Formats: sequence, C-alpha cells, structure tokens
Amino acid sequence: MSYILQIIMVSFVAVFAENTIFARALGTSTLITVARSRKNILGFGICVTYITAVTGALCYFIDKYLNGSESNFAYIVRPLIYIITLGLVYVVTLLCLWKLLYRIFGRIKKYVHISAFNCAVLGAMFLNSKYCTTLAEYIFHGIGIGLGFVFAVYMVVIVYDKLYSKEVPYCFRGYPLLLIYIGILSMAFYGLMNYQLTY
Amino acid sequence: MDSNHTSLQSTGETKKAENNDTKSIIYNAMVKRNPILVSGMVIAPAVVFANTYMRAVTLVITFSSITLFTLLFSSFVSQRILYTIRIIIYTIIGSLVYVPVAIVLNTFIPDSVTEMGVYFPLLITNSFIISCSETTFFAENKGKMLIDILFSILGYDIAVLIFGVVREIISTGELNGKIIAMPMQFSGFSEVYGGFILLGIFAALFRAINLIVRKIKQ
Repeated sequence: MSYILQIIMVSFVAVFAENTIFARALGTSTLITVARSRKNILGFGICVTYITAVTGALCYFIDKYLNGSESNFAYIVRPLIYIITLGLVYVVTLLCLWKLLYRIFGRIKKYVHISAFNCAVLGAMFLNSKYCTTLAEYIFHGIGIGLGFVFAVYMVVIVYDKLYSKEVPYCFRGYPLLLIYIGILSMAFYGLMNYQLTY
Repeated sequence: MDSNHTSLQSTGETKKAENNDTKSIIYNAMVKRNPILVSGMVIAPAVVFANTYMRAVTLVITFSSITLFTLLFSSFVSQRILYTIRIIIYTIIGSLVYVPVAIVLNTFIPDSVTEMGVYFPLLITNSFIISCSETTFFAENKGKMLIDILFSILGYDIAVLIFGVVREIISTGELNGKIIAMPMQFSGFSEVYGGFILLGIFAALFRAINLIVRKIKQ
C-alpha cells in the first residue's frame, strides 16, 4: 500500500509541485507554440504523456547500464544515448500510427513531431535518472511530467485570447505578458512547494 | 564604353543591394526576431540558470558553441531525407557536438558547467536546432545562412548577458562580487518566477524601444 502511495506521490509531485514549466521552465518555447490553438491540447497532451512514459521506461534500463559501467564518460555520452532512444520511440510511434491508424495519421503526426523533440521530454529523461530508482517510479514520474506539461499548457490556453487582446497595451501584448503570467503562476507554485529545486 | 558603364552601374547596384540584404538579415536576426526577446526561444536556461553575470557568461559560451557547430554541420544534411529522419539527425549531431564541448568546458570551467546541471545537455534540443533550422536558416543560401546564424546567436547572447547583469544587480545588489549601492534588493528575481517576470518586462521594454526608434526614423 505504501509503495502505491509513493508512486502516486511521485506523479503528483511531478504534475504540481515540480511542474516542468512553472518550476523548471522546461519546454516553455514549445508551450508558446502549442498554446496558440485550443484544438491542439488533447492530441498534444496524449502524445507528450505517452512519449515521456515510454522513454521513462527505457531510461530505467539505460541508466541501469550507464550507472553500472565504470566509465567516466557516462555523463558525456548520456545525451547521445537518450537522443537515439527518443529518436527510436519517435520513429516506431509514427510507424505504428501509420500502420494502425492510417486514416487519422495525417492529423496526429504533427503532434508527434512537436511532442517528441522538445526540452520537456529530454528534460524528463534527465530528471528521471536523477530522482527515480525503480521502473515504476521512472514510468510514473514520466507520466507526471507529461501531465504537468499539459496542465501548464492548459493554464496558458484558457487566458491566451486575453493576453493577446487589443485591450492590452501594445508593448505588453502577447509574448511579454505571457511570460509575466507564467511568472505569476510559477510564483504560486513556488509558494506551494516552499523550497528551491536542484537541477 | 556605354555597355561598360552600364555593367559597372549594375555591379554597383548589385553590391548595394547585397549590402542592404546583409543589413536586413543582421537587423532581423538581432532585433526584429531576437531569439529570446521576440521569438521566445531557449527561454528555460536563461530563466532558471542565468541569474548572475557569471552564469549568463557560462550560458552564452555553452549555448553559442553547441548551437553554432550543430547548425553548421546540420546544414549539410540533405533536404531530400524525410523530415522525420532529418530531425533525428540534427539532434544526434547536437549530441555529438556536445561531447567535445563538454570535455573542453569541463576542463576549463568545471564548476560553472556542473552548476548548469541538466540545462547544459538540454541545449541539444533548443529551438534553434529543432524548429528554426528548418523554417529559417536552411531555407537560405549558405552565405546568408551563416550570417543569420551568427547574428541570431549574437542577438541571444547580448540579451542574455544584459538580462544576467540586471538580474544580479536587482536581486543581490552586487555585480560579480562588487557591491553596488541599491536602495532595495528583490531576491525573488533570482528565482524561476522572477526570471519569467523580468524576461517579460525585458521583452516589453525591447518592444517599446523598437517602437520609439521606428517612430523617430519615420
């Protein structure tokens, strides 16, 4: 029972307390791109969460090997191995979608492109290796990061039109105000957490 | 004689047009679509890490070296290859460039690189490499591309350095260890949320300055 609670806690912390955008700013550029359309959120959310979960599981085995090796260069080759893993997941996912869901492949593939190669996903892989120890933790922490990212996108999408409204003074309209808004939300999450994260 | 004069005139005009073209590339790269103050690229390391002048310098060195070499090598990747594969190749090139950069920087500035944590390897998947490479840089010819890449990186670097300096002064009242007489210090600006808010204010100020300059020119 305590193990299940621990796993739920890991996901919960990744979604809220250590949110990938509000606490670590990972994938902010992707968020700005995705938040332009409300329609994108669901497809993007599913893709990001799926990729962070799958790469999380694969990371467990990679880390097991890298941490076990005595080479001093593990920290240098780790990004390369992670990128190759991410690339494989990306290609296999696209192939599976093409084979199984050919009708909607055209609509889905743009979400896969943007949700696979961004700082939030690669960051999730590095954070997994830093904070997680068991396979379940790797997977659920990955899911938590994906959901946290989607949550952050949703929080931006609901006010997006207001941030870009013509009623806002020109100098603050859009991007500058979006950053200030994310900053204010980030401040709220910082208060919730009450400690500084290590990276 | 007349034809010679015409050809000289046309050569002069071509050179003038090329100069104007180069000027507009530089202006666009550094001002009109400044990577961090206008386009919103590579925000994470600036917001989280660049809270002092020295950290901003570290970020500038790491970002510039990884991005420049990755984009230069990636530009040789054939555009006939599927986008799906190309994007993987770009990031693999990025992670290969990361290896010598990490070795060199770990030799000269090991503490600064360690402080950067996950934000150092994450530069491999920065927006310059993932999205801007395809939409902007690789659509140009090699000469223009090189100028565009160099000045886009320079635009980012200058903005991050100013951001780091201002952030350090207002959050600690110091600059690189030297105390600066500040009536108040806002330590919150050294945190992630402070970084977001200050960057937002910077972006708004940058837009205001651009607007004023445009009006003066008109």
